[in-house]
Amino acid sequence: MAAEQPQPEGAKPLSGLLSGIAQAAYHGHAGITEELLRGQLYPEAAPHEFRALLTKMSGVLKSVASADMDLNQLEAFLTAQTKKQGGITADQAAVIAKFWKNHRTKIRESLINQSRWDNTVKNMNWRVDLKSQSRHIDQINTPVAIVEMELGKNGQESEFLCLEFDEAKVTQMLKKLSEIEESITALTQTT
Amino acid sequence: MLPKHAVQVIRHIWNEQGKSISMSEDARNMATVGQIIDIQWKLGMAVSSDSCRSLKYPYVTMTLKVAEPSGQIKNKSFEMTIPQFQDFFRHFKEMAAVLETV
Repeated sequence: MAAEQPQPEGAKPLSGLLSGIAQAAYHGHAGITEELLRGQLYPEAAPHEFRALLTKMSGVLKSVASADMDLNQLEAFLTAQTKKQGGITADQAAVIAKFWKNHRTKIRESLINQSRWDNTVKNMNWRVDLKSQSRHIDQINTPVAIVEMELGKNGQESEFLCLEFDEAKVTQMLKKLSEIEESITALTQTT
Repeated sequence: MLPKHAVQVIRHIWNEQGKSISMSEDARNMATVGQIIDIQWKLGMAVSSDSCRSLKYPYVTMTLKVAEPSGQIKNKSFEMTIPQFQDFFRHFKEMAAVLETV
């Protein structure tokens, strides 16, 4: 798929169909029914014809997304599909390729989010307070950071974690975070 | 009306302790602020899932051991993508900078 070719007739509905499939499968858009898609995009098509098209295109898109295909893999895959019995046309392949190029990042992000089932940090706020210590020595003021973390899981109500960090604790945290950073660097260097 | 000695005790305690309550934005927050006892971390790589055979993304998991004011110790764990981790790290660096200058 080297050069951008002008989109052939029929490209728009197919592009719309792929969008609809992606919205339902990856972006959590409820209510995108077969009827809706057919009515909007292929009103002239017979229901069984449309269903066949929908099934075929869904299958192709899911294969591409599941393998997170790069351009080489995509070209090889789509070419193979055009040569298959009951496969796709060259025009359809072009539309699918363009769609994937434009939506790959967003779909991949959705797939990643769909696979995160533990708490994630949805938000984090902090402030520094001056805390008066001790009932005997009035003027000792220790700065502490008060951190509020919003932890949540997909589709569940958040939990708010409120923590106090004095300077020593912040230093401890920074040390751990540096260790993590080193690990990430080591990982990205070897892969 | 409170007896005089009660007023004196209240005034004395308020002078000693009052600042830490009034300086916090919300006195109620004080009661729910936890202390960190331990920090653990893990760097993982998501390889595959049922909806995506080629996930391939690294993620950081952290577990904080927190002592709540009630005395209860709880483990709180959470996961971060690499960009989220970098944000998290940045927050703490900023915190350290502010704590130093206060």
